[in-house]
Amino acid sequence: MSEVMLILRREFLERVRTRGFVLGTILFPLFLAAVLILPVMLDDGAEERRFAIVDEAPAGIGERFVQALTAPAPGAETSRYRVEVIAGPLDAVRDELHARIQADELDGYVVLPADVLERNQVQYRAKALGGPSVLREIRSAASQAVQAERLRQVGLELQQVAALIRPVEVDNARITAEGEEGGDAASTFLAAYIIAMAIYTLVAMYGMSVMRSVLEEKTNRIAEVLASSVRPSRLMAGKILGVGSVALFQVLIWAVLIVLLMTQSGAIAARFGVAPDAIRSLGIAPGTVTLLIVYLLLGFFLFASLFAVLGAAVTSEQEAQSLQMVLMLPLFVPLLFMVPLAGDPLGRTAAILGLIPFTAPIAMPIRMAAAPIPSVQIAASLALLALALAVCVWIGGKIYRIGILSTGKRATLKDLVEWVRIA
Amino acid sequence: MSETLVLEGVSKRYATHHAVRELSLSVPPGSIYGILGPNGAGKSTTLRMVMNIIARDAGRISLLGVDPAREREVLRRVGYLPEERGLYRKMKVIDVIIFFACLKGVPADRARREGEAWLERMGLAQWRDAKVETLSKGMQQKVQFITTVLHQPEVLILDEPHSGLDPVNQEVLRDTILDAARQGRTVIFSTHNMDQAEQLCEYVCIIAGGQKVLDGRLRDVRRANRGNRYLIEFDEASAEADRFIHGNRRLLSRTQRAPELWEVELPAGDEPGELLAELARLPVPLHRFERIEPSLHEIFVTHVGNAAVAERRQEPAHV
Repeated sequence: MSEVMLILRREFLERVRTRGFVLGTILFPLFLAAVLILPVMLDDGAEERRFAIVDEAPAGIGERFVQALTAPAPGAETSRYRVEVIAGPLDAVRDELHARIQADELDGYVVLPADVLERNQVQYRAKALGGPSVLREIRSAASQAVQAERLRQVGLELQQVAALIRPVEVDNARITAEGEEGGDAASTFLAAYIIAMAIYTLVAMYGMSVMRSVLEEKTNRIAEVLASSVRPSRLMAGKILGVGSVALFQVLIWAVLIVLLMTQSGAIAARFGVAPDAIRSLGIAPGTVTLLIVYLLLGFFLFASLFAVLGAAVTSEQEAQSLQMVLMLPLFVPLLFMVPLAGDPLGRTAAILGLIPFTAPIAMPIRMAAAPIPSVQIAASLALLALALAVCVWIGGKIYRIGILSTGKRATLKDLVEWVRIA
Repeated sequence: MSETLVLEGVSKRYATHHAVRELSLSVPPGSIYGILGPNGAGKSTTLRMVMNIIARDAGRISLLGVDPAREREVLRRVGYLPEERGLYRKMKVIDVIIFFACLKGVPADRARREGEAWLERMGLAQWRDAKVETLSKGMQQKVQFITTVLHQPEVLILDEPHSGLDPVNQEVLRDTILDAARQGRTVIFSTHNMDQAEQLCEYVCIIAGGQKVLDGRLRDVRRANRGNRYLIEFDEASAEADRFIHGNRRLLSRTQRAPELWEVELPAGDEPGELLAELARLPVPLHRFERIEPSLHEIFVTHVGNAAVAERRQEPAHV
């Protein structure tokens, strides 16, 4: 077995065997799913709310309000609101209502004032106001009731008018190479976001892992023994390739999970009450997947070589910490430009971020998830990335070679320049 | 057969001090060679230059006939134990041993077999599958020693191999070093412990302040450094003997170690024969008359004195 393979094999096995890897591989998709699904599930949708309606409004409004509020939501069998109507005026019943709310017999009350038609306002009071959906449903029910009454006064029927003025939907879909198969704007943004986060996490996590590994060999003086058996350049290559293969292995596991998820997407979507094609619409063409992996790997190699150099230049993890933030900054920039990148993937900002080698590994996948990117731009971006990688490995290799065998203080910038010169 | 290691005028300078100055030495093949000196004398720097971990500023190094800075491959024939030890802490003991052996070109199955035999020999068999970090420091050091010797290198370069070992394990180490020498390997090690060196070395080189103080075969070094001092022991104490010793004008010094035991010194260059003849003529029977050989420790202290311990400084590798 060649030396590079031996180093690679050790890095791979020692990482994949850890509990951390197993947990990370399983937990990351769960975490991602939780971030996407939990907020929806945790909305107060299911919880019953007991309201008193203090009805001072002109006849008809109260009944319509109660009817609209207690109508079961689409897909549900019963309403979550239990409502009792109390005659006004509010001043006469307020103390009693407050007492009942304090005693937890009621969650809150809604006042439909006598001049609701003119003031265009109802009052909602509660101990806990509930999520945005509660406010939305009260507003919607009150609007329906008041609008119906106003329409009635001018001789029109609510249903009739509603049918006339119903808003027009915009059916949106991306045009991909295969035709109109891309998802709509919301799912596109979601896909881009997931891909960007995944690449960012992988590059940062495994890049730092390379750094720690270099640092371990340096501080334990393992490097001194290794250097007598292996060329430092091969040591660096084996290390980065080894950690990279762990990242790739993890991505493959996730890919298998995603394929499973997609073949089962109908069942899963139904379970979560999401439209059946919501998951499928995240689907991205195989050609794009290949390119995404290329960007992931090139991005990882670029940052891993920088992290390896950092590990060789410092003497402890504490020293590395602040510098490591600086290294990760360019990786983070595309996430700040998420909106222009995913919203206007063919625009100028997106094109520039796609060309800069240090932002491209994240910017390009976001763009590619959002729109078909001209091949010229992809080629140029990949070429620049490869060039930057070659330069970083060349210069970094020199620093690494000397750094791993140096002891004493942390290297200054001047030292690094000196090392590059003499190496 | 040419020398295993030759240094000629090797120097290493840092911004503020000379770590090694014009050092020359030569290590014959198959010998046990000790590089001795106080802390900060430049022992580690010298060995690290031989291992091409740091670059020399001047001089010539020839290891097994080639310059290790030009032909790194030669370092694969060497087993090197750095002064500050370390292994992959999270790895299993046997895996670490196999990894380092494979890097030196030993097939994995042989590395496993011999690694297990070595663990057995070092009394570490039950720790075979333990993580390195769970071992005590001394045990880790023994594991690292195994990784240094398993690939059967022609040359062993051990930087302070004794430090951190308890007396029992120092004994184990001594046996393995002697074994290696018996198998024809050359062992070069540094130490500041003169007793260890005295027990092991055939050749020594004493350095202090980065410069060579003396070197050579231990026997020759001893001989060159012995004074003209003798031990005289009579069968029993007697007034006549005392009178003779006190009355002998040629003696530079005389110390009565015990009633019947004297240590005396003759002027440099004087042969002891005449003194011995006079002693033989005394009515008191002579029990012992011998030349006092200085211990390595005495030679060391005489030459180096209480050399100030140099402060540790930054050592960029500059390979």
